[in-house]
Amino acid sequence: MENSQPGNSAAPSATLLYAATAIVSLVGLSDAIYLTVEHLAGRSVKCTLSGCSEVLSSQYASFAGIPLASVGAAAYFAVFSLATLAAFGYQGVGKLMTLIVALMFLTSLWLIYLQAFVIKAFCQFCLLSAFVTFVLTALTVMIAKRSARR
Amino acid sequence: MNCSADVSGFFTGKGIDQMKRVLPFVIIVAVFGVAIVAAWSLKRSGTEVPALPSSPSPAIIVTGASPNEAAPATTPAVADAGADPPHVQGPADAPVTLEEFGDFQCPPCGLLHPILKTMEKEFGDRVRVVFREFPLVPAHEHALAAARAAEAAGIQGKFWQMHELLYTNQNTWKDAFDVRPIFEEYATRSGMNLEKYRQDITSETVQYRIFLDGKRARSLGVKGTPTVFINGREVPFESLAPEKLRLVISAELTRLGK
Repeated sequence: MENSQPGNSAAPSATLLYAATAIVSLVGLSDAIYLTVEHLAGRSVKCTLSGCSEVLSSQYASFAGIPLASVGAAAYFAVFSLATLAAFGYQGVGKLMTLIVALMFLTSLWLIYLQAFVIKAFCQFCLLSAFVTFVLTALTVMIAKRSARR
Repeated sequence: MNCSADVSGFFTGKGIDQMKRVLPFVIIVAVFGVAIVAAWSLKRSGTEVPALPSSPSPAIIVTGASPNEAAPATTPAVADAGADPPHVQGPADAPVTLEEFGDFQCPPCGLLHPILKTMEKEFGDRVRVVFREFPLVPAHEHALAAARAAEAAGIQGKFWQMHELLYTNQNTWKDAFDVRPIFEEYATRSGMNLEKYRQDITSETVQYRIFLDGKRARSLGVKGTPTVFINGREVPFESLAPEKLRLVISAELTRLGK
């Protein structure tokens, strides 16, 4: 049961990186929850940028009737959970976290492309989510590099 | 029972290991709980159904509406009246009054526009539509200018013509640098006196009407656009699709026995 038991093998700095990942993912989770609730309530999100309505009411804001923001919330929560487990020394969860973050990174790139070239409007909450994903990607790369060195 | 004997094992290495194993799950469950509560509070804050006054003042446009007894106790007892007279389409004695708080630059409002027109056609004299200005500033840079244009048109009795032009041509002007000539062209197309329109657009009357509608919106807890009330009850956004809105209006007519 090595994969599901906590161990003491995580170096302090790796623990710190996982903790940082968990904290950063909470920012993304808050953002995604806000967007999901506003989407379901059908409100025009108030932004300082002018493109929020265009982006959030576009056909890309939901997939098969499911708000995209809710998928983001689920992804951020998954990353938070896995990073928390990894920070406490659970082995094996880091790989799954890396996979999810990689998918989030690619999705963020796609969504930025859609905002810039298809919808031609930017939503600050979507940009914040993309920024959080990029930070998570950077942290995951640092963790992966650390693991490769050991 | 010897309490000290029970807790002594907790501080041993085994106890700490056990705590370390359980703690992340406690944190995860706690965060999940907080997320659910936060989402619920957010949703609740955006969907409170405002109560209407039990004896509406003449300026409050509620026809056939009864006080919403099921409304939460936190809703305001009296809603602000809004600009008077309001912009209305349909007979004064229509059993259903549909009041829209709209922003001419808001894309979902633009999408709702043809839906409301369809409902007006389908339900005929049984529905009247009221439009209230709720420009989302600064999110929509031209929303206030559009609201002013519509209100200035209203002074010349051309509000609904301008309303139609603003919504149907939303994509033409929403990204324009200067909307003034575009709106002036709409004013001319609607058969307005352009000089008077130019004077009215910056007038206090126009500004005050928008202010009063905004005040009414805030008193009703309107947070975004479009927000629609049917006989004083807020219609959830997801029910603004034509097939659902049709059902909501029909249900209201059935409730009133019309």
